[in-house]
Amino acid sequence: MPLYELGVIVDPEVPPEEETSTLERLEGIITDAGGEVIGKDSWGRRQLAYPIKKKNYGVYHFWKVEVGGEALAKLNFEMRTNDAVMRSLILNMDRELRRKRKMDAKMEARAVKKAAKAAAKAEAAADED
Amino acid sequence: MRPNKKRFRRRVKVCRFTVEKINYIDYKDVELLREYTPTNGKILPRRVTGTRPAFQHKLTRAIKRARHMALLPYSGN
Repeated sequence: MPLYELGVIVDPEVPPEEETSTLERLEGIITDAGGEVIGKDSWGRRQLAYPIKKKNYGVYHFWKVEVGGEALAKLNFEMRTNDAVMRSLILNMDRELRRKRKMDAKMEARAVKKAAKAAAKAEAAADED
Repeated sequence: MRPNKKRFRRRVKVCRFTVEKINYIDYKDVELLREYTPTNGKILPRRVTGTRPAFQHKLTRAIKRARHMALLPYSGN
């Protein structure tokens, strides 16, 4: 199952029990689909860069989630219809990190080549002496 | 070159992502993204910052995601 990153901004004026119930519902959707929440990162109350629904603050939650892609539609629907959720974003981290790995490999190859070239040059200089 | 004409040396621009080998730009890294968005909220062009095209694309994506999540402003003041 692919790894996703889920970002949610929850309305700060909503009572705390509703916030937890919203998050539990999201987690429920994930576990129902046979997925798993791997990591939870909560930034807490944070000032928004611009007001959303006339509110200046938001509660940020970022999760690392492993689910099948079918659950995403449900998740998106839940987040869009739930009034406590102000914004949300789901990223496919497998896809994001694949590019990173590719670039890492490329850069490493380049570094190795460069080192080899420098070594060859040093050797040539040593030969001249 | 005429001797009386003032020569000015252009500052060498370097692509930060190439130098520091940052191969993935996370939209949650607001501190980093701030450096590429002046107070008016626009994304600085690579002509100004010297960012490599591949990284400029990634940067743009990350900044737009951050804007959606209200981590960065769409427009400043």
